[in-house]
Amino acid sequence: MKKLEESMRVLITIIIALMIGVLAITLTSKEPGIAIKYFFTGPFSSAYFFGNMLAASIPLMLTGLATSIAFSASAFNLGLEGQVYFGALCGTYVAYELNAVPPIIAIIVVLAVSFAAGGGIAAISGYLKSKWNVDELISSLLVSYTLIYIVDFFLEGPFKDPAAGLAASPYFNKKFVLPKILLPSDLHIGIFIVLAIIILFSIIMKRNKFGYEVRITGKNFRFAKYAGIPVKKVVIMAMFFSGGIAGLAGMIDILGIHGRMIRGYSAGYGWNGIAVALIARNNPLLVIPAAIFFAFLQSGANVSALFSDVTPEVARIIQAAVFYLVTAEGLLFFLKKKRMEKGQT
Amino acid sequence: MISNFIHTTLVMTTPILLAALGGMFTDLSGMLNIGLEGMMLASAFTSIFVANATSSLLIGILAGLCLSTTLAAIMAYFSLSLRANVFVVGLATNLFANGLTVFLGVSLCKSKGTLLFLNAPKLSNIQIPFVKDIPFLGKILSGYNALDYSAIILTIICYLVIFHTPYGYHLRAVGKDPRTAISVGISVYKHRFLAFVLSGLFAGLGGVALSLPLKIFVGGMTNGRGWIALVAVVLGQGNPFGVFIASLIFGASSAFSNMLQALTDISPKLLLTIPFVITLIAMTVYAIRSKKTYE
Repeated sequence: MKKLEESMRVLITIIIALMIGVLAITLTSKEPGIAIKYFFTGPFSSAYFFGNMLAASIPLMLTGLATSIAFSASAFNLGLEGQVYFGALCGTYVAYELNAVPPIIAIIVVLAVSFAAGGGIAAISGYLKSKWNVDELISSLLVSYTLIYIVDFFLEGPFKDPAAGLAASPYFNKKFVLPKILLPSDLHIGIFIVLAIIILFSIIMKRNKFGYEVRITGKNFRFAKYAGIPVKKVVIMAMFFSGGIAGLAGMIDILGIHGRMIRGYSAGYGWNGIAVALIARNNPLLVIPAAIFFAFLQSGANVSALFSDVTPEVARIIQAAVFYLVTAEGLLFFLKKKRMEKGQT
Repeated sequence: MISNFIHTTLVMTTPILLAALGGMFTDLSGMLNIGLEGMMLASAFTSIFVANATSSLLIGILAGLCLSTTLAAIMAYFSLSLRANVFVVGLATNLFANGLTVFLGVSLCKSKGTLLFLNAPKLSNIQIPFVKDIPFLGKILSGYNALDYSAIILTIICYLVIFHTPYGYHLRAVGKDPRTAISVGISVYKHRFLAFVLSGLFAGLGGVALSLPLKIFVGGMTNGRGWIALVAVVLGQGNPFGVFIASLIFGASSAFSNMLQALTDISPKLLLTIPFVITLIAMTVYAIRSKKTYE
């Protein structure tokens, strides 16, 4: 029954958000009929659009997973934007340096480096929280702002490809780029890596001792402490894994699509990942459909912008509306109450 | 040179201080509003856009405040009535304001980059007669715009309201011990709602102070000031003058970053990290000194 209510709530959320999207399109478009048609059907109209939609969902799945791990331990990791970006820079640099190494080994090393870089950054906030009770929500965000500037500095200066017209790193060895699966779209085998990571963490969170400790710490901190769970360590580790997965999100996107690091390429992955985790109610497996839904909103807007006069930015309004609506724990409760009041009168 | 630095510091302090004063009311009521950044951004866009369209500063400012206060009221409604987690609603507010301003910028102004509003009336700097002629001090005390002066005046008013009016006592009671407040007949709901509305007004003014003097809007132009303001709220410990001093430190770090950008060859990207690093250090030092253990 609770499950049913929960899914009803998500469904209502999605319907209201889509209605807001339709409204925004209607208000700004001269040909709303065509724009709305392409918004809903566009991503499914060809292998190209469909593949690109799935490709766009890959980093969101990981940032969604990253958020859900930190949130499960009641740690708010708001530094995802910086962790994604910094993890990608470190990984790209190593990929560039490992030019002569066999691809399989290079890719594994590169992903490990991105994981460690993103995780290390997030663990700082976890440490400050455990040691001195510095609010991790704000500290992770401040570190993230700092890192974004530092990464931009490298992309505009020391690590810039002089031949590139924009702020971007040089390309690394083309053999490291992950194979595509649905040409001519951007979809790459990174999606299988990501699905494997999600399943792995889903098992860890449900069955493993660490996952158990994280959940207890998140649900009831005092109880966890009295039960002998090393809560400080658990919070630091949860932040580390969260940041590490964010770092992977940045790097897999680079390995699968770009082949080099481009300034600002990942803007929004972190924030949208938070929304994805909220829709998924912090359940790692539900992160998969939630991320695809978010990618659908963006792809629908992009396709619609190609064939009509709407701007792709309309997706950001709808995404924000979804974010708003999923926050309202009592939304369905509120609707029920209204219905009851109506029934009485 | 020193007087210039102090002058820039005070100008950079204004938006942070205004937003932080607003955040302080929600903090005192026991529910910190982390949506300040989004409210500032929404107001920054709306105020300059409307001021440009109507050629009236007043209408522009009012329009900006209307939107930021509406966002605050929505936040209050979601977190107080719909039982949403106040942090998560705050994040939603930030994301929504970011999306909305970019969307409106593209649909209304047909541009994604820096939006120029050249028809907007100028928010002129006020030179105080006689004071402005004093050497050194004249530069420090005079030549700010109306918003800079009002930020200082509002700090004093907030102090009086919080410590010397019944409303202030009630607000602090609600934040310190909601159960007792209810038992003596103070409405927790009303005070928290009002605190959110006030935070919307103040954060809105902070946003106006960003866009109106420059006559431009850039997507995400608040650039973390709403978050830095939150740290100022925490460091200020519920006292408007404490909030003022904390905001001043962050204003000074921004001014310092600006000065180095003008005077040195160091990459501006690296210099732009200074305010965030200083804020992080200030926050950590505060936490260490207050010696609260994590529980």
